[in-house]
Amino acid sequence: MSTEILADSAIEPKAEQISQAPESDQDLAQSIDVLKRLSNSVKSRVLGRDDVIELAIIALIADGHVLLEDFPGSGKTTLAKALGEAIVSEDDAAEESADKEIVPFRRIQFTPDLLPSDVTGVPVFDTNTNAFHFRHGPLFAHVVLADEINRTSPKVQSAMLEAMGEKQVTVDNVTYRLDDLFFVIATQNPLDLVGTYPLPTPQLDRFLFKITMDHIDRDAELGVLDTYRERRDKTLAPVTVTRNEVLEARRNIEQAVNIHPAIKECLVDISRNLRTDDRVLQGNSTRSMVLMLPALQVAAALKGRSFVSADDIELLLPRVLGHRVEMAPGVTEIDRVLRDCMRPPMEQLARSTLD
Amino acid sequence: MKENTATVQAHYLPSALRALIIASAFWALSLSLTILSGSVAAIAGSLIACLAVDRWANAEPIKQVRTSTIVAAAAALLLLNYAAVGLVTRSDILASMLSPIVAFELGEALNWFGLCLAATTVLRSLAQRTSFGGVLEILFVATAFVVTLSAHRNGMIHRPFFIGDYALIRGIDPATILMAFGCLAVIALSALLMAENNQRRLPYHFAILGLLCFSLAGFVRFFGLPTPGMTDDLGLTGQEIAGNSQQKENPFRDGENTAEDKEAPVAVVVFRDDYEPLNGSYYFRESAYSQFNGVMLDYTSRGDMDRDLIESFTNTELTAEVLPQAMDQRKTVRTTVGMLVPHRNPFGLVSPATYINAANPNNLRFKRTYDTLSYAPTYDFEYMLGRELGRDDWSDELRNKYLELPSDPRYRELAESLIANLRPVYADDPFAKAWAIKTYLDENGIYSLKNDHAYETDPAASFLFGDLTGYCMHFSFAATYMFRSIGIPARVGIGYSVPASNRAGGSALLVQAVHGHAWPEIYFKDIGWVIVDPAPQQTLVDMSTDPQNELQQLLGDMLRDDASFADFMEQQQSGLIDLQTLLNIVYGLLVAAMVLGYSIRSYRYFAPSVYGPEQQYRLAYRAALDQLAGVGVIRHYGESRERFAARAAATSPTIEPATATHLARSLGASDGDSTTTDWKTIRRAIAKEIGQNTPRWRRALAFCNPYSWLFTR
Repeated sequence: MSTEILADSAIEPKAEQISQAPESDQDLAQSIDVLKRLSNSVKSRVLGRDDVIELAIIALIADGHVLLEDFPGSGKTTLAKALGEAIVSEDDAAEESADKEIVPFRRIQFTPDLLPSDVTGVPVFDTNTNAFHFRHGPLFAHVVLADEINRTSPKVQSAMLEAMGEKQVTVDNVTYRLDDLFFVIATQNPLDLVGTYPLPTPQLDRFLFKITMDHIDRDAELGVLDTYRERRDKTLAPVTVTRNEVLEARRNIEQAVNIHPAIKECLVDISRNLRTDDRVLQGNSTRSMVLMLPALQVAAALKGRSFVSADDIELLLPRVLGHRVEMAPGVTEIDRVLRDCMRPPMEQLARSTLD
Repeated sequence: MKENTATVQAHYLPSALRALIIASAFWALSLSLTILSGSVAAIAGSLIACLAVDRWANAEPIKQVRTSTIVAAAAALLLLNYAAVGLVTRSDILASMLSPIVAFELGEALNWFGLCLAATTVLRSLAQRTSFGGVLEILFVATAFVVTLSAHRNGMIHRPFFIGDYALIRGIDPATILMAFGCLAVIALSALLMAENNQRRLPYHFAILGLLCFSLAGFVRFFGLPTPGMTDDLGLTGQEIAGNSQQKENPFRDGENTAEDKEAPVAVVVFRDDYEPLNGSYYFRESAYSQFNGVMLDYTSRGDMDRDLIESFTNTELTAEVLPQAMDQRKTVRTTVGMLVPHRNPFGLVSPATYINAANPNNLRFKRTYDTLSYAPTYDFEYMLGRELGRDDWSDELRNKYLELPSDPRYRELAESLIANLRPVYADDPFAKAWAIKTYLDENGIYSLKNDHAYETDPAASFLFGDLTGYCMHFSFAATYMFRSIGIPARVGIGYSVPASNRAGGSALLVQAVHGHAWPEIYFKDIGWVIVDPAPQQTLVDMSTDPQNELQQLLGDMLRDDASFADFMEQQQSGLIDLQTLLNIVYGLLVAAMVLGYSIRSYRYFAPSVYGPEQQYRLAYRAALDQLAGVGVIRHYGESRERFAARAAATSPTIEPATATHLARSLGASDGDSTTTDWKTIRRAIAKEIGQNTPRWRRALAFCNPYSWLFTR
C-alpha cells in the first residue's frame, strides 16, 4: 500500500527536545545557510520580486500558505515553479514508494467546472490487479500553485482548504497524508471578479500571508527582458536544497530563534488595539498570532538574527493581518488602521529595550 | 496682468495701513512713558513686526510653527530683551565709553524696540491665525488712544502735559490737538475694521462703532464730563507749587493762580500733646519777612535778626537761638510734621523752638518728617495789655531794623488817625494800638485773590490807600507797616494757618495749600512775637475747603507709622506680587531647571563607566543615543530601533551595528555573550562620526541644550 492511512488526524510532534546552546547556534547557522541557498536559487530565476520571494520562503519554512493578489503574467508561476524545483527529494532517504508520487511542483488552474477529485486524485480500477488504485492528484507535491482560486466552486475550495489546513486529503472515506512540505501558493485577481466565488474570511484565515504584488520596477523589468532566454534554457537551478534540509531548518529555527516576552506583549497589544478600534468590525483571531510566531522566527533567521525584533513585526504584521481583519462598512484604508494600531505597542517595545 | 496688480494692492495696501495704525498706537502709548529715542524705537519695532508677520506668518517654514510657539517665542524675546536692557543701562562700561545719556537712550530704545516687536508679533499672529485675535488687535489700538487721552478730563486742557505744553508754547488751542487726536483714533479704528475683509461682519462693526461714539456724545451732553478721580494711589491731587510761595521773588505775585488745587495737601501734623488755640486757628510759622530792603520787607540777611527762627533742615536736632519768654503762659507741645511737598525751611506750631529730625516712615509719600517742640501760647488778650515792646537784649540798631518801613508818610497818618479814637485808658497801650489797626483792616478790607496791586512799586500802599481789596500778603504788610510807623516792632510771619475745627477731634491735622498764610507779629517784652492777624469780614473768595478727614486720618496714621497704616497698605498690595520678585522667581526656576537638566545629562553620559559590564548594552547605548539626540537625530514615535539606526547611519554609521548588538542583548536569549562588546570603542567611534558629519553650530547647540536627552527614546 503506497499511502499511510491514518484513522484520525493526530499530528505527531516534529521537534526533538535536544538543545544545547552551542549546538543550537550551529544548527541555526546551518538553517540560515539553507534559507540563503533557497532564496538565492529562487532569486536567480525570478527577478525583481525579492520581497515576495522572501515572504514565500518565510511561509514555506513557517509551515503556512500564501495568497497572492496579482495580475496575470506577473511571474507567479515562475516563482512557484522555481521554489518547487529548488527543493529536491533525496533519493536515498526517500525509499518509500509514496514519496515517488510527490513531485516538486504542481499547478492547478481553477475553473468553475473543476471537481474536488480533480484536485485530490481518484481511486482508479486497475484491470491487471483487479483492485482500486489511488491515482494521486496534483496536491501531492511540495509546492502547489493554485491559480485563480476564487474562480472555482466552494466545494473544490473547501477540499483545497482541508488539504491546506490538515495536510491530508480524504477520498471515499480514506485519508491520504500529504507531504510534510506541502506548500500552497494561491492567487486571485483582485479586479476581475465576475463569475467568481470570493473566499470567505474563515477560509482566508488558512493563508498565513496575503501578499498584494505591485508591478516590478523599471530596472528589474529590463533585466527580465534581457535575460529571459538564458533563464528559460536553464533547466535546473544551480543551487538546490533537499526536502530534509528544509524540514530540519524548520525545526531548528523554531528551537533557536528567541522570542522575547516583550515581542509577544507587543503582538497581543496590537491585536487588542485592533479589536477596540472603531474602524474595525472584527479583529484578528488568537490563532493568527499563534501562526505568526514561527513566521517571525523565520523572518529573523532570514536576516541572520537569533532573535525576533520589531523589524520582523513591521514586515509581517500587515501581511498576516491584512486579510484577517474585517473593516467596518465604508472603511477602506486597512493599512492606515494597522499602522495606527501598531504604533503605540511598537513604541512600547522600542522603549522596553532601554529599561 | 491688471488683476494681478489689483490683488497685490489688495494685499499690500491693508497690510501697510494696518502696520502704520498699530505703530501709531504704540507711539501714542510710548509718548508719555519714554523719551524720543524710545518712541522712535517703538514705531520701528511694531512696524517691522507687523510687516514681517504679514509677510511670513503664512509662508512655508513658519506656517508649520504653532501659534502657541510663536507667542512663547515672543515672551522669551521679551525676557531676553529685558535682560539686555539691564545689561546696557546698568553696566558701567557702556556708560563710560559713550556717555551715561547715550547709554540711557540706547537702553530705552532697545527696551521699547523689543517690547513693541514682541507685543506686535503676538497681536498680529493671533489676528492672523485665531478668530479672537482681530478683536484683540482693535481693542489694543482703542485702548492705546484712550489711555493716552485719559489724562484729559474735567476740561483740564493742559493734560496730558506733552500735548498741552506743546500747544500752549506755540499759542495753539490744545483742544484742537486733542480733537485731532480723537478723530485720528476713530479713523484708525475704522481703517482697522475695514482691513478685516469679512464683508458680512463689516456693517455690524461700523454700526457698533457709530453707536458707541453716539452714546459717548450723548453721555457728555446730559451728564457732563466725568470728574477726575484721584491721580495717585493716595488721592493727592496737589502740585508742588503750593506751600512754598516764599521762593517767589515777589510775594505779591503769587496767589494769582492758586485758585485751582487749593485743596492740595501740603503737610500733615500729628499732635503728640493736646493743644487748642484760643483764637480758633493753628498757626505754623515757617519764616518771616522782617528786614526792609528799600522796597519791601524781605527775609533778613542779618545774623542778629529773627534768631528765633529755625532756618534750615538738619539730620539731627536744632534749637532756636532765642526762645520765647513767658513760659508760664505757654504750653510745650510736641508735634510731628510730615511734609508732602518740599519746603525751604521747617515749620512748626507757633512758636517752634526745637527741631528734631525723625525717621521717614514712607519715603515715597513724605519729602521730610521731623518733630518740633513748640511753646504754644495760652495767654489771653488781657495778658498783653500794658506790656512794653521790644526785647531787652536788642540793640538800638536792631530795634530800628524792626521799625523800618517805606518812606510813604500815609502809613503813619492813617495809623495815627486810627489810634486817635482809643479810649484814654489804652491810648498808650501798644497792644490796644495794634488792635485798633487790625480792627480797621477787619472792617474795611475785602479779601480777594484777584487784585491790581501786584505790579505796583509798593503793593501794600496801593492796597491800603486804594480799594482795600487783597489777600493775606496785603493785609499783613499793610498792618506791619502801620505798626512800625507808630513805633511798634513788627514783622510778617509766613506759614500756615489752619482752622482748629479741621482737626475734627483727631490728633492729625492736614495742612492744605489753601492754608498758606502771612500774618503780622508784634514783639512784646517778656512774651515774644505775638500774632495780631487781621481777618477781613468781607470776602470775595470762597475759601472753605473740604477738610478731607479721611486723608487726614490716613496720612496721620502713616506718619505715626501705626499698625493700622501697615494694614491699610497691605490691603492695598495683597494679591499683587511684586514684578521683580516674580522675575526673580522665574529666573531662579530657570537656573534650577538648567542645573537639573545638565546634571541628569552628565549622569547619563557617565553612567556606563560606573556600572558593570552586564549593564553596558543598555547604558552605553543610551549614552550613544543621547549624543545623537543632541544633534537632532531622534527616533520618531513608533519607529523601530532598526529603522532609526538605518536613518541615523547617515550621521553615524556605527550606530547600526551598535543597535544590532543592543537588540541582540535585550531581545535575544539572555546568555550574556554580548558582554564582551567593547562599548567604549563604539561610543568613541559614534562621537567621532557625529563630529565629522554635523555642522559646528549644531554641536554647539547640543552642548547648550541641557534637556537634549529628553528626546532620546
